Amino acid sequence: MRTQNATAYRFLTPYLLIFAVFWIWPIISSFLISFQATRTVPWRFAPAFNWGRLIGDPAFYNALKNTLLILVIQVPVMIALAIVMAVLLNSPLLKARGLYRFAFFAPVVVGEVAYSAVFRLMFSLDFGIINKLLNSVGIPKIDWFSNVTPAMALIMIAVTWRWAGYNAIIILAGLQSIPEDVYEAATLDRVSKVKQFFHITLPLLKPVIVFCAVLSIIGTMQLFTEPFLITERGGPGGGTETLGLLLYRQGFRSLNFGYASAVAYTMAGLAIAITLVQLWLMREPK
Amino acid sequence: MAAVTLTNVVKRFGVFEVVHGANIDIADGEFVVFVGPSGCGKSTLLRMIAGLEDISGGDIAIGGKVMNDVEAADRGIAMVFQSYALYPHMTVEQNLSFGLRMNGNPKADTERRVKRAAEILRIDELMQRRPKQLSGGQRQRVAIGRAIVREPQVFLFDEPLSNLDAELRVQMRVEISRLHKELGVTMIYVTHDQTEAMTLADRIVVLKAGNVEQIGAPLDLYDDPANRFVAGFIGSPKMNFLGAKVVDTSNSAAIIELVNHGGARLHKPLREAFPAIGAEVVLGVRPEHFFVAGQGDCDIPVKADVAEHLGSVSYVYANAGPEELILEREASRQRASGDHFTVSIKAERSLLFDKAGARIR
Repeated sequence: MRTQNATAYRFLTPYLLIFAVFWIWPIISSFLISFQATRTVPWRFAPAFNWGRLIGDPAFYNALKNTLLILVIQVPVMIALAIVMAVLLNSPLLKARGLYRFAFFAPVVVGEVAYSAVFRLMFSLDFGIINKLLNSVGIPKIDWFSNVTPAMALIMIAVTWRWAGYNAIIILAGLQSIPEDVYEAATLDRVSKVKQFFHITLPLLKPVIVFCAVLSIIGTMQLFTEPFLITERGGPGGGTETLGLLLYRQGFRSLNFGYASAVAYTMAGLAIAITLVQLWLMREPK
Repeated sequence: MAAVTLTNVVKRFGVFEVVHGANIDIADGEFVVFVGPSGCGKSTLLRMIAGLEDISGGDIAIGGKVMNDVEAADRGIAMVFQSYALYPHMTVEQNLSFGLRMNGNPKADTERRVKRAAEILRIDELMQRRPKQLSGGQRQRVAIGRAIVREPQVFLFDEPLSNLDAELRVQMRVEISRLHKELGVTMIYVTHDQTEAMTLADRIVVLKAGNVEQIGAPLDLYDDPANRFVAGFIGSPKMNFLGAKVVDTSNSAAIIELVNHGGARLHKPLREAFPAIGAEVVLGVRPEHFFVAGQGDCDIPVKADVAEHLGSVSYVYANAGPEELILEREASRQRASGDHFTVSIKAERSLLFDKAGARIR
């Protein structure tokens, strides 16, 4: 048995080395860096420097507020939409199901830059199709990029468009694992389709929904692409700046690695905390 | 309680017809078992009665009312599924009361029905458990309980015991039989296990490839099967079939020669049909209908291949030419593997079939 283990570890060594150098070490290193003042040469150990700044930094609170706002509004809306899409995709009445599944999943495989560029065009003030459609139903044009509220809405719409289908496919797998005869038993129990959905489908989908919610929470805590590319680096005036963007700005624009590391650990800590709360709330009764 | 009548019931999946005009009358309060091999259409027939499958042709009536276009929920039936189909996220109590609660049944009445079902099935102790905390037999009881609380006119069982081990199956079989006596409700039960069919049924419906082969009381099917399929399907171990040829006929009998047993001949009295001389026929003999040499009408030599002595009963798997025979009771006692001996067939304890499998009486 021991020889077998040794052989296995010899095969794993190349990967473990890469994992240690490019994953484990940066995780440890960034934790150590977060306790150093990195805008002096050489860097010096100053435990309260970055963490102290974080507590009193309005830019951090702005990014935190934006991130949590997106999390609280966008994630539930997206999960609800994904459940509806999954139920539709699972319907035997739907023709060309394969095509719809592909269409819903496609946004995930589209390049981030390309999709952001298309969103910028679609939501453009004067030439975008969205404003033209709004106009056609009597709603005045919206300046999606210059006002904070529409810009935040735009970020949420974009993220939802990109990830709802992905979550729908995961939820669809969960739906298909619910045995058909449970529904047949409910039908014979004279339970309507709507009641079957709320009293059977949703409770049985809970583990899958929790899984999607956890993935989405982690993803949203790291949100970067959309505010960077669509609303131009968190604009207008930092109105859509997220923690991910703040980290980038501090780390790679201002080269303040210590502060960026503190932000990174805060993001990870928040994601873990929110996920644990979520798991606790959705736990199975004993 | 209600009678169930199937008239020329047909089921097609696309161009494939899987049930070909079934005609079955089930009396009020009767326990009828649909039995047949996999793919014979027995579960499809049950699901059509339940309203879970559309009917492609014919009529299904419950309590005298044609139900073809009536929703499953409104047919007054309850069904117990092979996989139990319990709601996994609900407790036993919630499983039992779910249908009633969802339909706004008065709380007191729901509680009364749940309590009664729990008492009948002795599951009072399990009410707060979830399905995954129950054994297979307990789950099956809950599934039956869920059917009981509906107080249906007809109970449908779709292979309810097939997921249970042998011992539990016997136990549940007795419980279902007791339940039928207690409730007195019409029950239709699907199984591929002929022992379940024989032990539970008032009448058995034998199905093969979408056709009803025979309907009758268990012992009637055993003693007087309509064809070779029913003769082979009902009874365990299976009936032995010996190749034969008609060598002579008279007004009341045919003389047949067992072609694989050195020309042994049997004088087989007949009353309805007389096959032509030279016709190929099949002689059916149940394992317990082989007798000690000289006690029957025709002796055949056999060699014991394997002997199984189970205490109350013994079986000998014997080779007789190209045919393998299973022998039971006195003919097989004291026999060991490798023994050569002679057994005897009585004409009145054997059945004759034509080449196509139809019974010659």
